Amino acid sequence: MVDPSLLLHGFGTVLSGYNLIALVLGSFFGIIIGAIPGLTATMGIAILVPFTFGMTPITGIVMLLGIYTGAIYGGGIASILIKTPGTPAAAATVFDGYPMAQQGLAGKAIGIATISSGIGGTFTALCLAFFAPILAKFALRFSAPEYFALATFGLSVTITLSGRSPVKGVISGLLGLLLAMVGLDPMGGFQRFTFGFAELTGGLSFVPMLIGLFALSEGFRQVEIILTAPRVSAVLKNILPTLTDLKKCLPAFLRACPIGLIVGITPAIGADTAAFLSYAETKRASKEPESFGKGNPAGVAAAQCGENASTGGDVLPMITLGIPGDAATAVLMGALTIHNLQPGPMLFQGHPEVVHQIFAGMISANVVFVILGLIFARFFAQVINVDRKFLIPLIFITCMVGSYAINNVLYDLATCAIFGFLGYLMIRYDFPVAPMVLAQILGGMMESNYRRAVVMFQGNVSMFLTRPIAMTILALAAFTTYVAVKRQREALKLEAAQLAALEESSSQ
Amino acid sequence: MPPVSMKKVDIISALCVIPVCIYVFYESGRWPILPDLGNPAWIPRGVAVVLLGAALLLLGKALKGRSLTLPGRIGGVDRTRVLWVAALTGAYVFGIERLGFMTATAPYLFGFSLALGERRWVRLAVFAIVVPVATYLLFDTALNVPLPRGLFR
Repeated sequence: MVDPSLLLHGFGTVLSGYNLIALVLGSFFGIIIGAIPGLTATMGIAILVPFTFGMTPITGIVMLLGIYTGAIYGGGIASILIKTPGTPAAAATVFDGYPMAQQGLAGKAIGIATISSGIGGTFTALCLAFFAPILAKFALRFSAPEYFALATFGLSVTITLSGRSPVKGVISGLLGLLLAMVGLDPMGGFQRFTFGFAELTGGLSFVPMLIGLFALSEGFRQVEIILTAPRVSAVLKNILPTLTDLKKCLPAFLRACPIGLIVGITPAIGADTAAFLSYAETKRASKEPESFGKGNPAGVAAAQCGENASTGGDVLPMITLGIPGDAATAVLMGALTIHNLQPGPMLFQGHPEVVHQIFAGMISANVVFVILGLIFARFFAQVINVDRKFLIPLIFITCMVGSYAINNVLYDLATCAIFGFLGYLMIRYDFPVAPMVLAQILGGMMESNYRRAVVMFQGNVSMFLTRPIAMTILALAAFTTYVAVKRQREALKLEAAQLAALEESSSQ
Repeated sequence: MPPVSMKKVDIISALCVIPVCIYVFYESGRWPILPDLGNPAWIPRGVAVVLLGAALLLLGKALKGRSLTLPGRIGGVDRTRVLWVAALTGAYVFGIERLGFMTATAPYLFGFSLALGERRWVRLAVFAIVVPVATYLLFDTALNVPLPRGLFR
């Protein structure tokens, strides 16, 4: 169970001095990143990880949590004002947010989006604080075979659920696994796949690779399309929603909060799915479903609340088991590792005060972005108008200087640039990037625990059958993979049929 | 833009992956097998086998004309712009230690914005000077992260 005194102490630490400044700055930059179409929460965290190197672990982590939650919320601003989601997760906010803006209610829509995001985010952060210690305590029973099974589960689900093509997801993930093997053998200590380069002995530099694959690759994509988003012309007034407005949104909150949390916990699906499911469920249960899509505030509330309610669910498996559920939490996990904090049950044993500071940081971050969102709504709306011809080069420089700053070696800079271009090609040609990064994290865990298990079982692999938890997890991995592949095939068939129908109708 | 088949891309990708799988088998065959620690080649070879299977599947699908489609082809000005920025970034990585952060970053930013179509020269010049100076002050002075001095060493 969560320790109330440690949690209170955590709030004391997070809300004092540099930590509070870092939290506010992180939230502020997060909202800006989220509000600019084309920039994602993952990209925001990846870009700003190097800025946290000089900070104490908790200051850095609190800043990154601020960026994460702020960016997820900020995506809704562009959805409402220019009908272009700031982040993919905010696509569902467009349905009712933009019609509200067209009716001259842009301020009200942003106000409702802000409060709803805060409610969803705070709910999920409280659930994280409640459930994480329980799950971590259970995970203490795990040893090498269970961890191997868990890593296999995380990897298989992520690979099969990412992108349009399961085959390309598998290729991306397996290449990531091979990249994770570069360096010294975890048991034997001999060199593998280093090609004689001394720099590769310690493995590929993880953070520069992360920045390259998630941030620089998106930068290259922006160079290709130079997104010209329409300029914001709406005047924002009456931003603070009334109690009557919020009362009307209450059913949406009650549905979106649990949906977001459950979707967040499920590996490989995140804020975008949570937002769409919450919106669809609220519309289905509404007495006036026909008003949705025409500027119903409950639609904005459901989408934003569900989207932000997924954040705590995403963080839960990462912090308790060391299994990141999606790309953004993979980057967060990388950042924790840099600060010498290895997520997993042992973190709860070794550093309970840090864990509770993270809980406090997560709860506070959701309150901070609400305050900032309401005060600076007009400023964040103007951020959307930023000139891409200067913004994109700025992103490139921040990525590269950040990568160099890790160890002050050219090798890291080159790693970032190479993986940035590789990531761009992967995005361009439908190879999902997330499995490659997640495989980097889970690959080491999978391999070393498998080898440990083999040693434990004295080479008899069939001994896995005597471990019920490990076998259940492996069976679950096989089942989820089967269902995911089947569903994806059905979706592709549907897409092909729709395309054929479209071609037929256009030829007539 | 009409959707474009990814047949060619899928064939090239599969053909790039197959040698990687073969290399994994070759290199893992040279690793020492330590007593009681199991064969270190099992997992890499297992991964390589599945990867080979996935690559062959992708190749087969592409040859049968069952590749997925792209929303549109990249070409012309867009491709030139990406290649120009990639070349510029490569040159920047190559030159930063020799030239130093400020000396390399200013022309890089100038060329980058120019490639994106910016033609307001004063803004361009101010941007190319202010950003490197501000970044240098932030990292080198405020965050204590030394950036390459190059010519000014």
